[in-house]
Amino acid sequence: MSSVAVTAQTAGRGAARAAAKRRNRGSRATRSAQRRPGWLTYTLLGITLLISIFPLYFTLLLGSSDPTTIAQNAVPQWLPDASLFQQFAEVISSTRINFWKALTNSVIIAVVTSAAVVLFSTLAGYSFAKLRFRGRGPLLVFVIATMAVPTQLGVIPMYILMSDLDWIGKLQAVIVPGLVTAFGVFWMTQYLSEALPYELIEAARVDGASMIRTFWSVALPAARPAAAMLGLFTFVQQWTNFFWPSIVLNSENPTLPLVVRSLQANFFTDYSLVMGGIFLVTLPLLVIFAFVGKQLVAGIMAGAVKG
Amino acid sequence: MAVLSPTQPTHRRGDPGQRPTRRVGFSQRLGRWDVKVSPYLYISPFFILFAITGLFPLGYTAFVSLHEWNLLGGQGDFVGLENYSAVLAQPVFWKSLVNTFSIFVFSSVPQVILAITIAALLDQNLRAATFWRMGVLIPYVVAPVAVSMIFGRLFADDYGLINELLGLVGVDPVGWHSERIPSHIAIATMVNFRWTGYNALIFLAAMQAVPRELYEAAVIDGAGRARQFFSITVPQIRATIIFVVITSTIGGLQIFDEVRMYDTYGLGGPDKDWMTTVVYLYDVAWGNQKNFGRASAVAWLLFLLIVVIGLINFLITQRIATSGPKSPKVRRRHTRALLAEARSAAAAGDTPHPQARAAAGPPPPPTFPPTTSTDHREDRR
Amino acid sequence: MTWLWERYHDGGGSATIPLSRMPDPDKGVTVLSSTRPTRRTRRVVAATAGVATLALALTACGGSDDGGEDTASGDEKITLTVATFNQFGYTDELLASYTEDHPNVTVKQVTAATSEDARNNLTTKLAAGGEGLADIEAIEVDWLPELMQYPDLFVDLTDPALDGRWVDWKVQQATTPEGQLLGYGTDIGPEAICYRADLFEKAGLPTDREKVAEFLGGEGASWDDYFEAGKKFVAKSDSAWFDGAVPTYQGMVNQLEGAYEDPSTGEPKDLKTNQDIKDLYDQVLTASVDDDLSAGLEQWGDDWTAGFQNNAWATMLCPPWMTASIEQNAGGVEGWDVADVFPGGGGNWGGSFLTVPASGENTDAAKELAAWLTSPEIQTKAYENANTFPSQLDAQASDAVQDSTNDFFNDAPVGPIFSARAQAIEGAPFKGKNYFAIHQAVQNALNRVDLNGDDPEKSWQGALDEYASLGL
Repeated sequence: MSSVAVTAQTAGRGAARAAAKRRNRGSRATRSAQRRPGWLTYTLLGITLLISIFPLYFTLLLGSSDPTTIAQNAVPQWLPDASLFQQFAEVISSTRINFWKALTNSVIIAVVTSAAVVLFSTLAGYSFAKLRFRGRGPLLVFVIATMAVPTQLGVIPMYILMSDLDWIGKLQAVIVPGLVTAFGVFWMTQYLSEALPYELIEAARVDGASMIRTFWSVALPAARPAAAMLGLFTFVQQWTNFFWPSIVLNSENPTLPLVVRSLQANFFTDYSLVMGGIFLVTLPLLVIFAFVGKQLVAGIMAGAVKG
Repeated sequence: MAVLSPTQPTHRRGDPGQRPTRRVGFSQRLGRWDVKVSPYLYISPFFILFAITGLFPLGYTAFVSLHEWNLLGGQGDFVGLENYSAVLAQPVFWKSLVNTFSIFVFSSVPQVILAITIAALLDQNLRAATFWRMGVLIPYVVAPVAVSMIFGRLFADDYGLINELLGLVGVDPVGWHSERIPSHIAIATMVNFRWTGYNALIFLAAMQAVPRELYEAAVIDGAGRARQFFSITVPQIRATIIFVVITSTIGGLQIFDEVRMYDTYGLGGPDKDWMTTVVYLYDVAWGNQKNFGRASAVAWLLFLLIVVIGLINFLITQRIATSGPKSPKVRRRHTRALLAEARSAAAAGDTPHPQARAAAGPPPPPTFPPTTSTDHREDRR
Repeated sequence: MTWLWERYHDGGGSATIPLSRMPDPDKGVTVLSSTRPTRRTRRVVAATAGVATLALALTACGGSDDGGEDTASGDEKITLTVATFNQFGYTDELLASYTEDHPNVTVKQVTAATSEDARNNLTTKLAAGGEGLADIEAIEVDWLPELMQYPDLFVDLTDPALDGRWVDWKVQQATTPEGQLLGYGTDIGPEAICYRADLFEKAGLPTDREKVAEFLGGEGASWDDYFEAGKKFVAKSDSAWFDGAVPTYQGMVNQLEGAYEDPSTGEPKDLKTNQDIKDLYDQVLTASVDDDLSAGLEQWGDDWTAGFQNNAWATMLCPPWMTASIEQNAGGVEGWDVADVFPGGGGNWGGSFLTVPASGENTDAAKELAAWLTSPEIQTKAYENANTFPSQLDAQASDAVQDSTNDFFNDAPVGPIFSARAQAIEGAPFKGKNYFAIHQAVQNALNRVDLNGDDPEKSWQGALDEYASLGL
């Protein structure tokens, strides 16, 4: 049985990768032949999906409707229609809100924070999971414990800090506090502890790789599904975050949730407009979902250390 | 006789693991320093930023809790633990704790179970896998205003959809806002709706890392899907299960948004029937009292509670998720014993005594060589 | 018999590798070839890093353009920010017209979506020392009792030149005992009664708004008159008379001069011995529960919103801003109208002010702008834009207000109706720093009975307990 390793030595790395893929495909084929999901799985998943998607679908329905119909019926209509696009157009072109600025700001904030969180969390998670150093245990417990303090009160000291740094009204005030999360570190620690076998690390070390090289070549690829999920979660969280930006930013320099919320007035809310705005703002996330979903690939490590 | 022993042993071919042991060159020292310092270097970006954005507010809150501090009036006198004792004497505080715990049980337990089940369903070779997998995350991204609208229409006491449906089948309407337990269930439902898909994907990511060979071997042995799940999947993702249990414990004891959108005032109802402790904290700080000092005391008391419950959950989960009768140590010792036997048997030229084998434990697999890398295995979480 | 695959893991959650255990001379190579990040991964990572750097750079170069306040006075160019919420009626043209008269001042408006957001914002920033507040902050009258405890946070806006601009009680609401004026009044909420003419007709009651006003008691209407009329209505109808005990109660309690506190000293009155409140409590609950006049719905809740479509009640206490809510929730329902009557004469619900935080950099210019914004001419324009009923006497008398009608409400002449109701308001109730804490205890007690069906006396005891826990 030609091993991937031998192939690598003789025919080069490209061929080795192809061989690995062939092997994975092979195992996936056997797996699929034995575990093709049946109708029960699809039914259960179908129900789950219906429940999950309905609220978003509901916003589409509300966005296609008008205030009177919304007030009169629990479900204004059953299928969305073209008037939805009218609402989109109105949201984008509304003079009350600064849509394009909000979009730009949201993108910047979400991208920067998710990249940073993934990088810093994987670094720290790798250390906590696989490296030995003094104070490892207590430090990790401490990090987890900090998640247990309610953050509502932290708003005020954070605000004081931001205003001392003169960052009020600027994007840094939202980005910097979001660059690291205890959640991310804890998640990567747990994931890497079970998904990254010591053999791989040792093999790399034995081959003379430095610590950083080991991290780059071994830990990062191994962390791919978890890193993808963490990045996605962070992105979504920052994209939909309302409370903190509402305090440190303002309608001059807003983010998308602020702008959508501005569409709501207290006494007469045009729900069709608001829901149209909400859907519009959720659309980019759906696109990213499709992209990240492909990162959830099984068996990256399987077959990696085979004889 | 002059011993002309070389300072370094000659490099043996096929022995890449051997390293010169005598002379410690500069690159060796660098390597060792690399090993020692790297962990601290890697965690430092996190900790530096965290000290600013995470620790500073924590310390500030602790400082505030020891003073009489009005939100608008500013810092008052130092009062020590008086805020804490004042809070502990409030019946509303205790009521909120009971509410919090009740909502937590209604939300976290079904959530984790549902999430792991959904993840197991998703961990298969589905057609259009991305669609199914990402679809479960959609509840997480729907804006709160939309969610509160929908669930409000479902759970309204008089004109809500659920009560209407119950009326159709002749059941009495449920007092979602007028009774305590139904309100907890309704709020827990909103929480579960939002977070189940999220946790399911966390489990899914972890399940993706389980080597497929284990499942193949199980199938060969004739294990059904349920058996595979409980005996392979669950132990393999144990660390992730612990992670989800702890994070959903921490989150579940801090439920805030759903309570705020459950009724107009957002303070847990006229009887504080569904007021959670974080909402109580918010009311004390931003509400009529504006008592920042007391609110900080509530925060730290809640913190203590979460730590205690988190620990309990961690211990429970560790016990549950470790399936199988053997612990690692036994396994290692067992396999080492087998190795020693095999070697001595090979040396002695006869097969291992069946009795000795029985005494050592279950027989090793007949077709595969014994594992040696157990020697290198280190403690895993 | 143990399963084969059970031997391949140590129960510690490791991704163990089964099969070959022989030391593999190719092991190192295998690692590098199949786990080294593929070219694509590296590109993705590099791209992300690049974007991140670029984004950080962009941010640093100033992704902000907030009301950059230059310290200035006199002729230097300054920008003043006005923070409002909901709809105050200040359009961009309106604000630009200020710059025509004052060329060195540019006015920018920042809006919060809801009044609660604005309040959280204001409170947080005040708690942090005042940084980041706008030059002019709009507040609601209900925030005043609390803010008046800290008059130093705001500039004293007293200006003898503006005497007589507003109704007396409006100014009184924002004046501290020491005489400091915290805010200039913008709009008010004089209450009338909004009613469903179609439900009245079905119950055989008058529908024309003057006749309805008479039916409900006319000029000297009392709460008893209102409740009696209600009993006549519910005898002939499935709908309730009013939406809830609490909104009705708040109309009643706002007519007491010192509901929960002594107006002269500000000291809270012990709820146990507060007979005035207990009487109102009993009166409204008798009407709500015993006489079945209440629909038992919490205002702004989902049931209340749905109640409009389900004919749940026929009348409600109605300040001008409530008409917008009714119009939205009762979309498609024909029959709403407004009657120029109010039990007890007059009542005010809501209203806003413009304040100038003391931490601002251009407080003098801000004071001037606030005075301009609350002038009768500008408030009238705001009324035309957003239906915010003016608190300025001249504005109320203006044609724009007097001629305005509301087509959803059967073309009712809302301008004259609400001005008449505003005239009937005698004064503003005293609200000290403990007002809302005590008020909430009574509200909770009412809701427990009205919404949840608790026993009134037990619920009152609960209110007394809540009062006691305030430690007053």
